[in-house]
Amino acid sequence: MSGPFIVDAHAHTGAMSMFFCPESGAAELLARMDRLDIQCSLNAGSWTYLMGGGGEELEGLRREHEASGGRLLYLGVYDPRRGREALRELDQACRRPGLAGIKIHPTFHRTPAESPGYEALWRFAEEHDLTVLSHSWSSSEHNPAQALSLPGRFEVWVRRHPGVRLVLAHAGGRGDGRAEAVRLAREHRNVYLDLAGDIFCYRLVESLSGELPPNKLLFGSDFPWLDPRANLSRILLAEIPAEAKRRILRDNAQEAYQLNLSG
Amino acid sequence: MDRRVDGEAPGLEARIEALALERRQQAESLRPFDANAWLGEPAGFPLAREMQPPELLRALRGCGIQAALVSHWAGLRVAPQAGNSALAQALGGAGEALRACWTGLPLFPREGGPLPGAGSLPLAAGAVRLFPRSHNFPLAYWVIGELCSWLTEHRLPLFLWHVEIDWPSLHALAVAFPRLAIVVETQTQKILYQNRALFALMKDCPNVHAETSNLAGADFLRWAARELGARRLLFGSFLPVNDPWVALGMILEADLSWEEKRLVAGDNLRRLLPEARA
Ligand SMILES: [Zn+2]
Repeated sequence: MSGPFIVDAHAHTGAMSMFFCPESGAAELLARMDRLDIQCSLNAGSWTYLMGGGGEELEGLRREHEASGGRLLYLGVYDPRRGREALRELDQACRRPGLAGIKIHPTFHRTPAESPGYEALWRFAEEHDLTVLSHSWSSSEHNPAQALSLPGRFEVWVRRHPGVRLVLAHAGGRGDGRAEAVRLAREHRNVYLDLAGDIFCYRLVESLSGELPPNKLLFGSDFPWLDPRANLSRILLAEIPAEAKRRILRDNAQEAYQLNLSG
Repeated sequence: MDRRVDGEAPGLEARIEALALERRQQAESLRPFDANAWLGEPAGFPLAREMQPPELLRALRGCGIQAALVSHWAGLRVAPQAGNSALAQALGGAGEALRACWTGLPLFPREGGPLPGAGSLPLAAGAVRLFPRSHNFPLAYWVIGELCSWLTEHRLPLFLWHVEIDWPSLHALAVAFPRLAIVVETQTQKILYQNRALFALMKDCPNVHAETSNLAGADFLRWAARELGARRLLFGSFLPVNDPWVALGMILEADLSWEEKRLVAGDNLRRLLPEARA
């Protein structure tokens, strides 16, 4: 194939309040995708949606999917504090094209990942064959709420729902969460890791590639928090075989989110 | 996995290798000069590993980076004097490719040991960094004015992590010393949440620059180059904590002219550093 081929498995769109970000919309994301050989991006929700918004935000993502000619797939957000409502919205979204999975964020939603508040979400994902993407991180002095998203907390669900694919975003972060994330991805067929965010650690791509089965690591940008360029070159230039790069940049996302990229 | 993709795999891998090669060649031709490489045991990054000078040089060269301004973690973790001594020792035979960024303290009350502004300037010293928050002094004229005058006189740029400063104090200092080159570094947490202050400061104070290792928001390099000028941005890798290809990749792929990329990758830092004295 000669066109764009990369899958950005973790992006967002929409206005941000807590930092200056002049170019955060779907049109700007698409312009960068064209520029950087990115065929398709998974939109894991706007800031408003992640922070407790509901149906209208989901509808906005669906419209962006349509307007993009299918290049922006999207994830619905499940906030356990409004769980029943969220599932009702997701149930509707399942019947329409473009929904690629469900995003959860234990840290933003102030709910430990193992909390029973997530039970209905895992059952729903199993019934509808949807992938779950969750924020994951290490314990942090600077932000104690990160402890709610420690990778080990997800293990109870991964065991109970082996049919649900779980992607741990940020591969457990820059500290003690990393080893746990790697362990989960090695021990459980249904656990994947993405590289989104500023886990810019030296030789991370090389070390994760060495530690994980070849189908487990996904490229993600976390646009607009980060420019897709930040994580793209380090994968292209990593000291790993071209086949491993191809998997990270495309095939693994295709498997983890069951994407049909034939267009 | 579907069959069609498997059939495409060899073609895609060839494209990936071509993209990688193109970037590697571009990186070399930008003549990168890294503003942010470190020796010693990293503090606050539990998974990062210390590198000795030869390994650091190899890692830099592996990314096409020609030279680096090098700091020492002991300057933060132990004491500025300890970091400066360790740096002088480590860089003794390292040659022109590695220049030292010393750690400083206020000049009064006078403290012993190797410090910028006290005694003779060490060979190969190219810049000075302060850690006002960690070393417990305010970033104020009445505390570090004397040091800033000395830096200005010796044409040494002043480096500061954004997590070590408060913005109103830095603004006052930049206004008080308009001929002092100040470099705001985007470590040790991403500067994203501080970028309203950073960009406003840079607009108001032409002597303020930004280091780019974590200036990673969507198209920030292009935006900053258009609004503030490419001469205000300095490539930093934050090696060995970070992968240099992150910061280099953002420059390589940025929507900037070739000349602008050259400035950001290394020529701006070359311009700011005083001549190395043999
Ligand atoms: Zn995200």
